[in-house]
Amino acid sequence: MTGMTGTVRTEAAAALRGSRAAWAFGVLGVTWLAAILFADGFDSVANVRYLVQTASFLGIVAVGQTLVVIMSGIDLSVSGVVALSAVVCAKVASGTGGGASGIAAALALCALVGAVNAAGVVWLRVPPMVMTLATGTVLSGALLVYTDGSPSSAHLPLLDSLANGRLLGVPWAFVLWLAVTAVAGWLLHLSRTGRYAFALGAGEDAARASGVPLGATAFTAYVSCAVLAGVAGLVLLGFTGTSSLTMGNPYQLLSIASVVLGGTSILGGRGHLLGTVGGALLLTLLTALLISWNLSEGVRQVVLGVLIIGLLLVYARERRT
Amino acid sequence: MRDRITSAVRGNTDLVGLLVLLLVVLVAYQHYDSSLLDPASVTILSAQFLPLILAAAGQTTVMLLGGIDLSLGAVLGLAMAVFATYDAHGAAGVVTAAVAALCAAVAAGAANGTLVAYAGLPPIVVTLAVSFLWSGVTLIVLPQPGGHVPGGLVNAYNNGWNGLAVPALVVALVLAAWKVLRTTRYGLALYAVGGNEHGAYASGLHTRGTKIAGYALAGAFTGLAGIGLAVQTGSADPTIGTPYTLNSIAACVLGGISFFGGVGRMRGTVLGALAIGLLTNLLLFTGISPFYQLIVQGVILVVALALKTYLTREAAV
Repeated sequence: MTGMTGTVRTEAAAALRGSRAAWAFGVLGVTWLAAILFADGFDSVANVRYLVQTASFLGIVAVGQTLVVIMSGIDLSVSGVVALSAVVCAKVASGTGGGASGIAAALALCALVGAVNAAGVVWLRVPPMVMTLATGTVLSGALLVYTDGSPSSAHLPLLDSLANGRLLGVPWAFVLWLAVTAVAGWLLHLSRTGRYAFALGAGEDAARASGVPLGATAFTAYVSCAVLAGVAGLVLLGFTGTSSLTMGNPYQLLSIASVVLGGTSILGGRGHLLGTVGGALLLTLLTALLISWNLSEGVRQVVLGVLIIGLLLVYARERRT
Repeated sequence: MRDRITSAVRGNTDLVGLLVLLLVVLVAYQHYDSSLLDPASVTILSAQFLPLILAAAGQTTVMLLGGIDLSLGAVLGLAMAVFATYDAHGAAGVVTAAVAALCAAVAAGAANGTLVAYAGLPPIVVTLAVSFLWSGVTLIVLPQPGGHVPGGLVNAYNNGWNGLAVPALVVALVLAAWKVLRTTRYGLALYAVGGNEHGAYASGLHTRGTKIAGYALAGAFTGLAGIGLAVQTGSADPTIGTPYTLNSIAACVLGGISFFGGVGRMRGTVLGALAIGLLTNLLLFTGISPFYQLIVQGVILVVALALKTYLTREAAV
């Protein structure tokens, strides 16, 4: 009897060691428990609601980032894309076009940016990091030209209710995030494209030699990532009611941090989409905790940086090859 | 003689392309500003370009090791903040401030290197995570733009000191030091570890130590760049370093430094940084809105890299 429980326990421990995504949720649970016990105001339903709502903005971007990272790419243009979709949507909606055409124009442009990223990576063979950094730079320049430096604000009822409204007490933003996660989870873990992405991430040459279509997979991943960043930008526009040229900046580093904290290898080929959900929740919770302690901006960043490094050291180390 | 030239050209295809680009830019520049080659212009331009050249030198060191430094802008900001908040008076004060700033930057670089060498985390993740840390430290040192650099130093740096272009001299000294370092055992180890880490380890090199020293050296270059930027502007700004991350990578890519480590030369990086700086100025001269600068920078980066990949592929066939 004791032997059996012993085996079960070692198996459970081995599974835990093997699954980095579980680590993300474990750390999240412990942190949340600590926050409820030791910090004020983290035990209320309103607080949980607010946390999952703000985590959704980061989470939606991070889900897209996961798709790209799994195939050993990286998208550093998400900050530009978030700003692009919000700025374009606000400008079109406050100008002649209505809200619907604003949203459509924004998402179409985001998809185009994703396609450009993929084209550069696949056809021009530019490393993903440089390609996406370059498109991000071009985007921030293009937005400056487009808005003449002063982006407009817009109030769209649809986006407003999407960002601030609730469905049976659950924020719509969170529902949207879960829906996006479900679709992306199917794409990555159950569909053929997802298997291709994992294969490309594990070893590009071998994958291509065995007939994995690099082009189609890369286009799917980068376009999905850019469109999701665009969706996050739209929800953010609904949340704040204004657009700004720098509104996407925090999401560049934080989306990658969410992916890595969620246990996905930055080198590609290994990871799970659900881990990213845990990573995004964890980062949002940590930020909220640090804000509740009234620390200055500088100290907050230092603590967040040290915590991220610490967590990465605990469970995200790459095996020495 | 001709054989020697063709073989030199063949060995340096990257550099030749870059030189042609630089020449075109220089001719166009001369058209708008005929005083380009005057000593005064050289001083002003070198004062303006020194931060980018030295930052790119730091990025080159890391990239030669097969890494990438996404925290470079944050470290540059840190060095700048430390130097300007010291509130130096007189030569001794300036030296103390510079030493403090350099120590901070070298310590930051060494910490990056230690994490990369011992923690088993990829360089991109390490430097991404520490960029939060270093920009936080910078904000603690200097919450708002400000600080102070002695006016005499600012004047000597920007307008020359007894007719000497101080920034150009500093860059030349740094490059000479790099040249000497390249011939030492350590310089060889740097290229060896970047080119083939397992091979380097198997031949008895201390790969981890080499990495840590390399990242610390990059920190020193970045620190110098930060000090230069503080002296150029006469004060410090905790967020001004951010664009240097991208621009330093762009300079390295233009200069032919490989992303996979072990391939590339410092002279290429310097030419790449010069090309970026001159192009930025040229855009200002032509009267195009400065908003277009970012677009042009991004496009040049992609075109240069795509062209290089295309050309090398042709050569390989």
